[in-house]
Order: sequence, then structure tokens, then C-alpha cells
Amino acid sequence: MEWVEFTARTLEEAKDLALDRLGVAADDAEFEVLAEPKPGLFGRLRGEARVRARVRPAQARQKIDRRERRPRKAAAAAAEGGEAAAKPAKAPTKDRVHAGPKPRAKPRQQSDQPDQPEPADTELVTPQRTQEHNDVNARQVGDEARKFIDELVAAFSFTGTTELIEDGDDLEIRVHGDNLGLLVGPRGTTLQAVQDLARVASQRRLGDHDTRLRIDIGGYRQRRKEALDRFALQMAEEVKQSGVARVLEPMSSADRKIVHDALSGVEGIATRSEGDDPYRRVVITPANDG
Amino acid sequence: MTDQPATDQPSESVERANEIQAPTATAVLTHVVRSIVDDADAVHVDAVEGRNRLKLEVKVGPGDLGRVIGRRGRTAQSIRTVVRAAATRDGVEVDVDFVD
Repeated sequence: MEWVEFTARTLEEAKDLALDRLGVAADDAEFEVLAEPKPGLFGRLRGEARVRARVRPAQARQKIDRRERRPRKAAAAAAEGGEAAAKPAKAPTKDRVHAGPKPRAKPRQQSDQPDQPEPADTELVTPQRTQEHNDVNARQVGDEARKFIDELVAAFSFTGTTELIEDGDDLEIRVHGDNLGLLVGPRGTTLQAVQDLARVASQRRLGDHDTRLRIDIGGYRQRRKEALDRFALQMAEEVKQSGVARVLEPMSSADRKIVHDALSGVEGIATRSEGDDPYRRVVITPANDG
Repeated sequence: MTDQPATDQPSESVERANEIQAPTATAVLTHVVRSIVDDADAVHVDAVEGRNRLKLEVKVGPGDLGRVIGRRGRTAQSIRTVVRAAATRDGVEVDVDFVD
């Protein structure tokens, strides 16, 4: 999973922005503070807070060594010999293959293809994990997730077709069919659970951290997004008219991201998130209000 | 994928409960758990009659329980959500328990 970087007046705000961009709760993210805010004269800000963040990688990684899916054992052995980069990657052959295999819990060695920007004024030591590269490609993850969903639909005795949409590291699986409402559930709760499980079955099991996997069933997310977009724009208009900030109801991180994205281009207002999950909510303020 | 464990035959009554009362929930649960663990062949799902609802007991291989439960029980919760949805197709309510 790639890093995102945000600047804001305070560390908290920068972290909030990053969390909403990543679309995860604070517990599932890891942060690095790149710059503390520097107060200037008269309450002016000389330097803004800069934070970078990414989705915290899953922990149970050593287990992957027991799998025969990919040449992990060989990878670990090669890494111990200090030859990680020289070891030809056996399994991944698709376009997203990076340098060497990725040993877990070993200091990362030189990577020839840094996939995140290295800010010049990094003040904290970069965790070794940031140097990791992924030797699972998006196609593998997508195929695995799609297989999981296909079999899930079959286990429900539903008939449906699935479609995998790949856009770089963004993967979306769409399930088409009639009467799939049971898989969506009240307010999308079942769909969310299905997505969680698909992620565990594909990304986590394959040791992938780069892809973003989304599942949509019966067009639910699309409709939800359209409704949220409309709602957000309407609220933004009210804030603009009244000049009074507006606190929205608590939403999931995915929904908050939709709201932030919908309003990112709207002049005259600003958005931020407040509170802790599951009560975290978006606040829309007039632009000059903070 | 089968609804029944390959080994460790459950008792007749358990197996019948499994088949008759919640075939969809059992199939879904088995599929999901097998897709998540390292050792898919060690996954067993048994249906046990509870007082007023059916209890589906999942056994997984050593070391796999953590992945099935997930951080803060999140994966376990997702499994329950999906399996309960499946159980509505069987017209029953189910609990899902995970055992090592």
C-alpha cells in the first residue's frame, strides 16, 4: 500500500486528512511525522505540519512461509544470504514485478525502484517496512479475490456474474445479478463484510499491500456514491449560504472519503473529519473558518 | 468444496442437522473459512443444535485461528455477518463459534 502525504496546520489535521484519504480507521494506519508545525509571529504559521501515512500492513505474515503458493521459503533463504536482489523472482511475471523477493522481519536492502517519494526533510527514521516491495502483482490478487467472490455467490445458491476491473493497483470486483440484496444487507453491512473477507482471502493471504480492493454488488456502491455526492454538495451549498459549519452524521471511512472527494473541488468550503470511529464524522466549514 | 469435513465424521445427528437445517449457511461458512486459512483441509464445520438457534462450530488447524478471528475480531465479525445472511436462505438463525 502506498504512502500518502499531507500537510495541515496541525499534526492532528494532517493525520485526519491522511486517514480519510486512505479510507481507514486510525488503528489501521501508520504514520510518520515529517515536519512539526512551526508557529510564527502573531499566530501566523511559518511551517505546516507534514505527515505521511499508509494502511498498516497485516501482521500475520510469517505464516506465508508455510504456503506453497509462492516461493517464500526460497526468498527468505536468499535474503539471509544477502542476495535478495540477485534472486530471480520465480512466480511473479506480470508487469508489476519489482526487484527482489521480500523477506519479512529482515532489514530491507537496497531497492532500485523506490515507490514512494523521499521527502528531503524527513525527521524520523524511515521504518524499514517502507522500503518493501511487493512481489505479488495486482492481477494475482484480483484473480484470487474474484474466485473467492464467485464461489461465495455459488455457496449462496445465487446466480451472478463477476467482473474484475483493474486500474493499476485499484481493483474492483463487480457482481451482477438479480436479487443480490441479501449480499448487500442493511445499509451495505453485508457487502462490507464480504469485502473484508475478500481482502483477507486475497490481499492478506498473498501478502499483498499495494492493491486497493473494492467489491460492489448489484451496483450498490455506485448508487450509494451518487446519493452521497448529491447530499454532500447540497450540504456544502448550505454551508456556503449560511456561513455556518455543518456536522454530518457519523459515516464509515469509505463514505467519508466519498464526501471529502466530492467536495474537494468546491470553492468556499473546507472539509475535515472529527471524532473517533465509529462516530467519526465529516464537518463542512466555510473556507475561511479555520 | 464439500459441506462436510473429509475426516473426523461427525455424529449422525450432527450431520443431519448440518445438512437439513442450514445448507446455505454451512456452505458459505465452509467456503469463507477455507479461503482464509493456510490449511484448508483442516477446516471442519459442525452444526450443533442450540436452544433456539443453530450453532455452527468451526474448527481450524493449529495457528489458523488468529487469521480467522482477525485484528480485534474483525474477520470473525465479518464471517458472522455473511453467514447470518446466508442462513436467512435456510430460514434459520445461526451462531458461529470458532474453536482451535
